[in-house]
Amino acid sequence: MPRTLLCTSLLTLSVLAGTVLAEPAPYPACAACHGQNGQGNPDLNAPVLAGLDAGYLIRQLNYYRQGVRGDHEMDPHGQQMATLAKSLLNDQTDLQALAAYIQSLPVPAVQPVEGDLRRGNSYYQNNCGACHGGKGEGNAAFDAPRLAGQHPDYLKRQFLHFKQGIRGQHPKDKPGRRMAMMANTLPEETLDDVIAFISQQP
Amino acid sequence: MSKGKLLALVLIVAAFFAGRYFFATGPVQMTDSRGGASYGGNQEATADGERRSGSLVRGIHMAPMTGQVHEVRAGEKIMDTVKLAQSGDTIHVYPGTYSETVYIDKDNIRLVGIIEEGQRATLDGKGHLNDAILYSGNDIVVENFLITKYKGNAIMGQAGNNFEIRNNIIVDTGVYGIFPQLGKNGIVTHNVISGIEDAAIYVGMSDNIHVAHNHVFDSVAGIEIENSRHAIVENNFVTNNTGGILAFITPGLPVKTTYDVIIRNNFIVGNNHKNFAAPGSTVAGIPPGTGILIMAADEVVVEGNIISDNKTAGIIITDHNNAPNTTIDPESDPAPDKVAILDNLMSNNGYDSIDEVKALMLTEFKTGKVDIVRVGVSRDSCIINRHQYVTVGVDKWAECGFTHTGDVLTYLLDEPVPPREIDPAEAGKVAYLGICAGCHTYTGRMIGPPVQVIQALYMDDPQGLADYIANPVKKRDDYPQMPPQDYLDPATRLAVAEYMLSVTK
Ligand code: HEC
Ligand code: HEC
Ligand code: HEC
Repeated sequence: MPRTLLCTSLLTLSVLAGTVLAEPAPYPACAACHGQNGQGNPDLNAPVLAGLDAGYLIRQLNYYRQGVRGDHEMDPHGQQMATLAKSLLNDQTDLQALAAYIQSLPVPAVQPVEGDLRRGNSYYQNNCGACHGGKGEGNAAFDAPRLAGQHPDYLKRQFLHFKQGIRGQHPKDKPGRRMAMMANTLPEETLDDVIAFISQQP
Repeated sequence: MSKGKLLALVLIVAAFFAGRYFFATGPVQMTDSRGGASYGGNQEATADGERRSGSLVRGIHMAPMTGQVHEVRAGEKIMDTVKLAQSGDTIHVYPGTYSETVYIDKDNIRLVGIIEEGQRATLDGKGHLNDAILYSGNDIVVENFLITKYKGNAIMGQAGNNFEIRNNIIVDTGVYGIFPQLGKNGIVTHNVISGIEDAAIYVGMSDNIHVAHNHVFDSVAGIEIENSRHAIVENNFVTNNTGGILAFITPGLPVKTTYDVIIRNNFIVGNNHKNFAAPGSTVAGIPPGTGILIMAADEVVVEGNIISDNKTAGIIITDHNNAPNTTIDPESDPAPDKVAILDNLMSNNGYDSIDEVKALMLTEFKTGKVDIVRVGVSRDSCIINRHQYVTVGVDKWAECGFTHTGDVLTYLLDEPVPPREIDPAEAGKVAYLGICAGCHTYTGRMIGPPVQVIQALYMDDPQGLADYIANPVKKRDDYPQMPPQDYLDPATRLAVAEYMLSVTK
């Protein structure tokens, strides 16, 4: 009993301080690919999870489990994650706790990529910032996730998946359909500059 | 003091108060200086021959004011009288503080502030109201007001023709000071405007416009002619803005061109104000210290201005590709073509320029304080007396085939243009062009988010969009809040929502 109490108060304390929550049961399995601190692993094509909004994480995990995301034959990495979501997570998993934990992990620094930042900034502000925020910080009001701090290769792959109809087509995926519409508005030759701009955001 | 003298004094004092009282309640006698007799000049002046002629552009031909004169006094609401007024009426607003949004959706109304011994009718938004005066009617006059502390626009025209906005003082008011949008044949003169976060005077998607004798200062953009044609900007005093006078094509608006703009005889001095526009917006990209900025606009003639002490450059001419915070609209030509720089007095510009300009100068082995900078493509542009200025990118420009603009007195029309006929089926479109396009372009970030993004957010939910604009909540840290459009009736709100979701460019 005293221990639980201590735990609870520690938990409260850490929430107040904005620090990391206690690790929930399924996370060590995730860490194998996404890293102990949710920093991701580009060699495994596993994106950064740390700092992503809990609502976004839960939605994505459910999408993977329900075949809304990662079901397309041209999406091997998505398929991989979908398989894992189905095996590692079940209806008893406390997704809230898992997502809250991941959200509380500090966003790691990402290796910036080079590009025409002025053009990247222009197209980012005009085509993306209204949902993902002026600095790529994300905006839960539009279900738009944080982009700053994410691996550039992953961002590009996801962007192209939206554009090519691999992600964001399912009737149940309204936020994804929104993003897919936007993916079609960006002149393709500016994509690398936009990604470079995002990679330079703190 | 004798009793007689005392009595006289009391009587005088009483008469004084009675006079004031009379003055305050009776209608004032207004003299209309836009027409009437002209000062003839001293006889001597014509002894050696006829004087040159040419008339003063102060007013435009207006529909006759045949109707009633209404009075509004402190404590009353201007809007209550606007609701009663009929086309042809004049509304006199007496000194006092009015805290409201006035929306004129009828034709031929003259809204006049009465100035008594320096006291003006003051519209005070108290920092929470959005717009002061909006009009969507034709033949509207708005004059003599003091407008302060609104968050959106001081005076905004929404698709009204033959407008006349003059003698207003606008202080610290939101996004745009005077903003006629989608109007033809209109005049903006003798206004004093300061402290505006975007443009003090913003002429948007309009034709045949005259902007003269205004004093604009301490704003991000002084005077902006955007996606408009046949405009003259003359005799304005433009000082301590971030950018002085701008002729622009903003990409993504329904009107795709800007051309035939004369910028002449203005004082464009010391426009070095820190840029305080919303980050990421188009004007946020203007470098402080820009006298005149010509972006993608064609046939812009710059003559007879005094352009001095602007620290980045006196005149910058750029295409869309080289402009900050700007994307390409496939339907707009991104190049400013046929720009003509005639004689101007330029001095002490470019004394503390930006790195991009310095780098450009190096490519031409030039140093010093730069007056004129051209970046990107500009076809068939010309200049005279180029040896006077320090320039970058204009060495190859031709000599102009003309030297002045004296033959063009004004682009205002002799006859007022007919009111815009609005087919009820088009109500959504007209509201979109006249209101929403002032802050939303199709492809890019202007004041509000791009229409493409709104379409993605609201896809198949026009009612949701219509509900939002009636009562907008703040959703984005780096955008201002959107002003409510609750003055539009619910049917128009739904129509404009449906139209906004259907536009494709
Ligand atoms: C075998 C490696 C692997 C493991 C283990 C793994 N993932 Fe993933 N995960 C991936 C890959 C690869 C992707 C990228 C999928 C794509 O491209 O759609 C991904 C994507 C995700 C995403 C989408 C991120 C975004 O920004 O949209 C989330 C959320 C996620 N994983 C959560 C988890 C969680 C939670 C666990 C543990 C329960 C886990 N993953 C375990 C490989 C893994
Ligand atoms: C209308 C709002 C909106 C706009 C504008 C928008 N996005 Fe998105 N974006 C979203 C939403 C919503 C999601 C999440 C979709 C989901 O839940 O599957 C998303 C997801 C993404 C992702 C995947 C992130 C991840 O972690 O998997 C990338 C990459 C992305 N957007 C890039 C962009 C870029 C680049 C632009 C500008 C060209 C842009 N977005 C414009 C709404 C938007
Ligand atoms: C004075 C400038 C201005 C005008 C005029 C204007 N808007 Fe906006 N609008 C904005 C701003 C600023 C935002 C962003 C607000 C925010 O994110 O908090 C916005 C946001 C929006 C949104 C997005 C709402 C969301 O959920 O993200 C819609 C829809 C919209 N406007 C519709 C309209 C329509 C329709 C009109 C014309 C009737 C209009 N606006 C006129 C400035 C304006």
